Amino acid sequence: MFQSFRQAMAWLHTWFGLVLGFVLMAAFFFGALSVFDREIDRWAIPETRIAPQPMPSYEKLLRPAFERMQPTPLAIDAMRPRVDGPMPAHFDTVDSWSAYTTHRDPVLALYAGYQVPHAKDAEERIWAYATIDPRDGRLLPDEQLKIGSGFFFPLHYGLTLDWKNLGIWIVGFSALMMLAALVSGVIMHRKLFREFFTFRPGKAPLRSVLDLHNLTGVVALPFHFFFALTGLLIFASTYYFPLGETQLHGLHERHEQAEARETGLPHARADVSAGLANVDAMVAEAQRRWHEHGKAGEVGFLVLQHVGDANGYVSVYRAGTDRIALVGDGIHFKASTGAVIHEDPPATPVARVSEFLTGLHLQHFRHWLLRWLYVLGGLTGAACIATGFIFFVEKRKKQHAKTGNQGSRVVDALAVTTVTGMLIATLTLLIVNRLLPERLPAAWASRGDLEVYLFWAGWALAMAHAFVRSAPVAQERANPAWYEQCRTVSAMALAAVLLNWITTGDHLIKTVFTHPYWPVAGVDLFLLASAALATVAAHRLKARLGADQLAQSTEAGHA
Amino acid sequence: MLEGGAAALLLFAAIVANGVGMAWVALSMDVHWQQVQGTAPSRGAVRRLRVLGALGLACGLAACLRVDHASMAVLVWIMALSAAALVVTCTLTWRPGWLKALAWLAGCEARP
Amino acid sequence: MPRTFTIDTSGSPRLHIAARVGAAVLGGYGFAWGINAVTMALLSAAGLEFHDAEFLGNLLGVLAFLVVFLWTFAARRLWRVWAVLTSGGALLAGTGSWVQSWLV
Repeated sequence: MFQSFRQAMAWLHTWFGLVLGFVLMAAFFFGALSVFDREIDRWAIPETRIAPQPMPSYEKLLRPAFERMQPTPLAIDAMRPRVDGPMPAHFDTVDSWSAYTTHRDPVLALYAGYQVPHAKDAEERIWAYATIDPRDGRLLPDEQLKIGSGFFFPLHYGLTLDWKNLGIWIVGFSALMMLAALVSGVIMHRKLFREFFTFRPGKAPLRSVLDLHNLTGVVALPFHFFFALTGLLIFASTYYFPLGETQLHGLHERHEQAEARETGLPHARADVSAGLANVDAMVAEAQRRWHEHGKAGEVGFLVLQHVGDANGYVSVYRAGTDRIALVGDGIHFKASTGAVIHEDPPATPVARVSEFLTGLHLQHFRHWLLRWLYVLGGLTGAACIATGFIFFVEKRKKQHAKTGNQGSRVVDALAVTTVTGMLIATLTLLIVNRLLPERLPAAWASRGDLEVYLFWAGWALAMAHAFVRSAPVAQERANPAWYEQCRTVSAMALAAVLLNWITTGDHLIKTVFTHPYWPVAGVDLFLLASAALATVAAHRLKARLGADQLAQSTEAGHA
Repeated sequence: MLEGGAAALLLFAAIVANGVGMAWVALSMDVHWQQVQGTAPSRGAVRRLRVLGALGLACGLAACLRVDHASMAVLVWIMALSAAALVVTCTLTWRPGWLKALAWLAGCEARP
Repeated sequence: MPRTFTIDTSGSPRLHIAARVGAAVLGGYGFAWGINAVTMALLSAAGLEFHDAEFLGNLLGVLAFLVVFLWTFAARRLWRVWAVLTSGGALLAGTGSWVQSWLV
């Protein structure tokens, strides 16, 4: 089948790249957007446009908020089949209360887990969620879609295909193929170093597209490799290789028991009620201990386990803003007395490597330059895959035109769908987010669901358009959809910025100069830059389209 | 670890050092020297540009390390290298003449 | 000197490609699972903490998957790929379970 090793690698690179490139494109692009997921959330939910807040006082603010929480009727209905007998009117036995924030979050996420009386599985828990304003404890509407952290982020690792985690498996396999494509690409590339800085836009399209493909692949090679690899590692033990839950369950169990003995943190309630010492004092003590070790002292995660029970304990985890490694440095207190039970020991060398690798992907650190460089890396990856598609088409267009093969036409239309179509879908989401009324009729889907449906509808429309306009590709000419969709993208990006101004009153003069608020200003500026870039691209494509037509008519004249 | 203005200034310096270093590395390659100067580079110029290029990149790393925890500094540096390579490529493509100034700065001029 | 690859092309090329892709995806996964299991078990036996062993197992498993995936396409004889990946994967996984039974 293959004459040489290099040819085998080329076959693998071409065909796996083509089939899974569409998935990788979405992973890279929505991953790049997820770098600023919290900021996109602020743009999409105007009531939360406030400055990031530290973890508030438990005594003053968190306790009343936790005490008000109860599972939603929807969650109670979902639990019903797993319980023998009636559901209680009120869930009283709190298994855990926890609060989570990051240095970029102005809102605080609260989680409450309750024991379920008469549950078939004794370990069964029912959960309640809330989002509060950490300044006054006011409950914020939680039904609005957090477009960044609640949609783009899961889309980039699971395509929102939740059935049997299918999306996570598809993206995982695609990440493995990204690694394979990088290795095979380096093997195929004969002049990796000699052409490191080379881009020749003046040459024939085939050459210049390949230049761009190589350039975007090679200069950000470490980024591409490590993001695909760490993405796989983050999910490996839970989804891809769940050995601890299956084949090596025994070893896992042995470890859990040893850990419980070592840390002295009780796994279950003692069923003896007990009071709660001052939690704010525990937080202060944790911060004092972190400070002693020269670590930044913000609290990221606060957990109260077995609330109201003698076995209750409070865990305080650090928000790791000052280094890459994702570490909690958790300190655990006995709830009834406030005495320290256990302090997480320093990480082992292997754990340090693991925390570094997962941390570099999950980005809990505070470093705005690095965040923007990550966006650049992600977009470079997307550009690399997109130019790969275009190269595939350019290489075969002529041959296919002669033989009447529709292959390059289909691939070109799919490329339009994944490049400009993906932008159109994203912008559709932002625009409908600003256009839909706050309260929708009760019979309709929820506002967030409707936004997501329209996102997919926008993408489907772009795809239909790309296919409808694709006929010229089969005659070795360019698909006008490229140009038309670039125009659409620039108009939609402008519209999104304008709609943000009209519906919230936040325009760039305000968000940059008079009342600086960078999360919203950043999204607006990014949209304007995209609009400008799309306009330039549209202009270039139009010129090429014109030249194409001219060549066709002279050819026809000669004939 | 530095904070605020000093950190921003040093990070900016790191980006500049990486960019200049990367440009010198590019100029040490025959084809790109040719693009900029129109002639072939001398053996001495190539060696000089390689050494200076490496020094520039090393200065970039040093500046990154001065600002952040080492694990973070290395990432900032590697990502800034990618950005520098992209910028140098774009300059070579559309405005190769601009790099004459950097060749002059390195003390390497085109042979008549 | 580039080696010349003479790959048995008995049968249709389509079937051959399907067999190769199948070997790469399924055989590769099984083999990676085996590497993962044996690494985790052996490192646990060597006294490493469970999650440390798990991380190193995952890392080696993913990298092994990548290597055997590429090898499947480069290899001369496909039957040998199938044989190595399936029997190797089973042997490695079996060793993992055997070591676990000694530890627990």
